[in-house]
Amino acid sequence: MAGSVDRPAPAALKGALVLTGLAIWAAIPFLIGRGGVDILVFAGLYTIAGIGVAFLLGQCGIVSLAQSVFYGIGAYSIAYGTTVLGWPIPLCIVVGLVISGAVALVVGVPVLRLSGYFLALATLALAIIGHVLFQQWDWLTGGTLGIGGVPHIALFGLSLNTPFRFYYLIWPCALIVLWLHANLLRSRTGIALRAMRDAPTAAKVTGIAIGSLKLRIFILSALVGSLAGSLFALYVSFVSVDSFGVDRAIGFLLIAVLGGARSIAGTVVGALFVTAAPNLLGRLGEVHEVVFAVLLIIAVIYLPSGFGGAIASVWTRLRTWTARLASQSP
Amino acid sequence: MDRTVGEPIAMSALLSVRHVSRRFGGFRVLRDVSFDVREGSITGLIGPNGAGKSTLFNIVSGFLPPSEGEIDYAGRTITRDSVQQRSERGLLRSFQTPQVFNDLTVWENLIVGCHKNGRSGVVEGLLGLPQVRRERRAAVEQAERIIEAFDLSSVRDRFAGQLPGGKQRIVELARAVIARPRLLCLDEPSSGLSADEVRDLMARIIRLNHDGLTFLLVSHDMELMTVCETIHALCFGEIIASGDSAYIQANARVREAYLGA
Repeated sequence: MAGSVDRPAPAALKGALVLTGLAIWAAIPFLIGRGGVDILVFAGLYTIAGIGVAFLLGQCGIVSLAQSVFYGIGAYSIAYGTTVLGWPIPLCIVVGLVISGAVALVVGVPVLRLSGYFLALATLALAIIGHVLFQQWDWLTGGTLGIGGVPHIALFGLSLNTPFRFYYLIWPCALIVLWLHANLLRSRTGIALRAMRDAPTAAKVTGIAIGSLKLRIFILSALVGSLAGSLFALYVSFVSVDSFGVDRAIGFLLIAVLGGARSIAGTVVGALFVTAAPNLLGRLGEVHEVVFAVLLIIAVIYLPSGFGGAIASVWTRLRTWTARLASQSP
Repeated sequence: MDRTVGEPIAMSALLSVRHVSRRFGGFRVLRDVSFDVREGSITGLIGPNGAGKSTLFNIVSGFLPPSEGEIDYAGRTITRDSVQQRSERGLLRSFQTPQVFNDLTVWENLIVGCHKNGRSGVVEGLLGLPQVRRERRAAVEQAERIIEAFDLSSVRDRFAGQLPGGKQRIVELARAVIARPRLLCLDEPSSGLSADEVRDLMARIIRLNHDGLTFLLVSHDMELMTVCETIHALCFGEIIASGDSAYIQANARVREAYLGA
């Protein structure tokens, strides 16, 4: 009987943990200043863009530096669509998604035939071309002057025009995107991706259409990048080409590498690190960029599986330890 | 048992290799090779190193196109079909070096084997639709059966890459079988196995063949090849003899080319 009494405990514990987590999440904006909430909003935005890169890297073995292009397309769709064309925000988001998906399809077919360093360099070239085009097509993007006056999104009559309010939009969006990717990882497609990453030749023999699968995931990555870009434009109200440079592309890749590309939850930690660390270190003065670079090197050397891998490892050890304790107790 | 070399031998051929040649630059590896694999049979392919066995195997499984000739399978020409298309039609192969998914558990390797039996795609996967769960349940049921049938319960949750070579070969075979192939091509399946494991493998192949699975084997192991109904001996890209195991072992040309005797 004892077993039946004990059994519901993990579920109850899980429920309590979820509720506590939700309470902490909801309370955070009240506990930290505006600057802190702003960092968390950006962490949410980068989580969405970063999961696309992390999924490509961790599940397909594709290093993509092209995410800044799709992030830019999403942002400019909102900026141009709302300010110049006067379109409603949902339509602009959809247009951004469609354009990003189409670009990913057209570009992905030739580029994804490459592998390893060549593929990474090809995506870097895409990031550079994208940035140059965003700069040159000033009739569309406003060039270096950018596009201002992007309207804020409003929900139930409430304009999300402060970091505090946007925080409660961005994180549910990020969690939905993470949940969708977690679903995908558990599905037939998810396990096919992992198989393809491990042994592409054998994966072909089991009937996995490798080329088509890579292309689909590249398009998915572009879609989430575009969504993040659209939300970014709605948050900051001003879109300029400086936000979509190669440094942004590297930042997204860094989220995937630091978070642990094979861990979906790790992306959140990676995004928090990439957004929060430079801001916190900024207090050190001019030396902060050097300290950040050193921290990155240390993280990459000592956490080869990223923060996600380290957390998973600690969790596994904790479970083994508690199981051993339980088996030793009379 | 003597047959005309290189001529189709079976009435109901599942696989027909018709006048296949393959050149790499100016070097001709296969020269007008023709043979049939009868549905429900175990057919073997032997030959010394450099005879062209692997090239022929790669052409049959779709990894290489032939320079000339055609491959027919299950009543249609598949010469230009991709590996994946052949797999979907039930033509599967294993590799000389076992190709398991190292970072997946044995259990997950088997689930991957069920891939072609499902239809859900990226969108269904993202949304976690009921179809995805149904496919998962069906794959789990099949994997349970195969785990039992191939005695893999003890290593079920171990990463396939951590298993010894012989066990990896069994996992690779089990993964192919779970995909419900019609023709299974095994490349040196006894390589790296102990004598006991080879006997187990032979018994398994015979059992699966009795259940209706057709085999095409490439091996140097003449003990293993005794399970074959017909063996084709390949030498310098040409079939020099076709017949049963006893005939092939006694054939003077085969002995000269293959055994060096």
